[in-house]
Amino acid sequence: MIDTSLMFSGLAVGLIFGFALQRGRFCMNSAFRDIILMKEYTLLKAVALAIVVQMIGFHLMATMGYIQLYPKTLYWGAMIFGGFIFGIGMVLAAGCASGTTYRVGEGMMGSFVALLGLMIGGLMTKAGALKELKSYLQPTEGALKAITSDNPGDLIGNSNLTLANVFGLDPWIFVAIITIIVLAVLILKRGDEETKAEGTLYEKIFKRGWNWWVTGIAIGIIGITAFLAFKKYALGISGGWFGFLDALITGDPEKLNWFTFLVIGVVIGAAIAAVIAGEFKLRAPDAKRLLQQFIGGLIMGVGAVIGTACNIGHILSGIPQLALSSILGGAFIVLGCWATAYIMFMRG
Amino acid sequence: MSSDVKPTEVLDVRGEVCPYPDVKTQKKLKKMKSGEVLEVLVDYPLSAERIPRSAEKQGHQVLKAEKTGTGEWRILIKIK
Repeated sequence: MIDTSLMFSGLAVGLIFGFALQRGRFCMNSAFRDIILMKEYTLLKAVALAIVVQMIGFHLMATMGYIQLYPKTLYWGAMIFGGFIFGIGMVLAAGCASGTTYRVGEGMMGSFVALLGLMIGGLMTKAGALKELKSYLQPTEGALKAITSDNPGDLIGNSNLTLANVFGLDPWIFVAIITIIVLAVLILKRGDEETKAEGTLYEKIFKRGWNWWVTGIAIGIIGITAFLAFKKYALGISGGWFGFLDALITGDPEKLNWFTFLVIGVVIGAAIAAVIAGEFKLRAPDAKRLLQQFIGGLIMGVGAVIGTACNIGHILSGIPQLALSSILGGAFIVLGCWATAYIMFMRG
Repeated sequence: MSSDVKPTEVLDVRGEVCPYPDVKTQKKLKKMKSGEVLEVLVDYPLSAERIPRSAEKQGHQVLKAEKTGTGEWRILIKIK
């Protein structure tokens, strides 16, 4: 069992994270899918800003010695395959791991069904029927084995590759370049998506959807807080749910991890946000859509275990650490999303 | 606008998941004629914000985008 202070910090960070996810409608499935489907970039801007805020925060805290970075292991075959099928799954499930989780708190039963699929798919791949596939793609020997670094750098607590240590350069060079490029694009391409600023501050925070930049900065700060609280990583969603189902089935409280308390917090935080805003409603799509969402969740679960993380673990928390594993995994999540969105919504 | 505009067609996408409310609205908007009014009923918050935004971007006129109840919205779009 993890210690009580970690349980509470997970729950507390989760509550705030869930609140921000619901208010910001922060879903990476929408963020990436809508680029090609609707030429909509609002959520993408929030994602980009959250990544930049965290990238600066993580490196600042690591430089000051508060944390060490833990980029994920680069199993290249697993990142490509796992990422791609995760991307397929999230379009079918109508939400990424974080989007699905916060929508459970809004009362969307389709997302609840997708979440059940995610947990089952994950456990199947971790320790069940598909575990051979996982060990095939994450082997200790052979062409698919992990690629590591002999000299990972001062800020990093393991031997995994980042954009910086693969070139033997100071990570701050990349932090600076990426920050300048992203901020320049966000400023130059700023559109008129801002919700019209009416109402009191209370209404803007609790009653309306947030502007993308509020969401981006809020989620970035929450990610930094998560890293400071947990020390071993920043935000993650899927691993928390796998631990939850594992603990339920085995009765072993050791299976509960920091992320389990985080995701429970997310559901509660999102529910609180939705109730205050008058957006909480138990609702469900038709049977065909429920089945589609279950299958999507199942595929996401398989993809998250093979690819070692979901969209949050890779794109939101891993890319800011400049992890090559997360850059590769994240890129294939986006490609899987685009391929599926094209087939489902854009042909004909 | 005191009196309500009478919609030409009503699209009820309540219960539908992301991004079907948007996709179905777009399909409908393409089929309708200029000057006609489409009423969209939606209970998915992201689409309730995104549908008026994309309709305006395409040059349609959003006559109304209002919250009608807990987690429910009604959007009136006049086709360009």
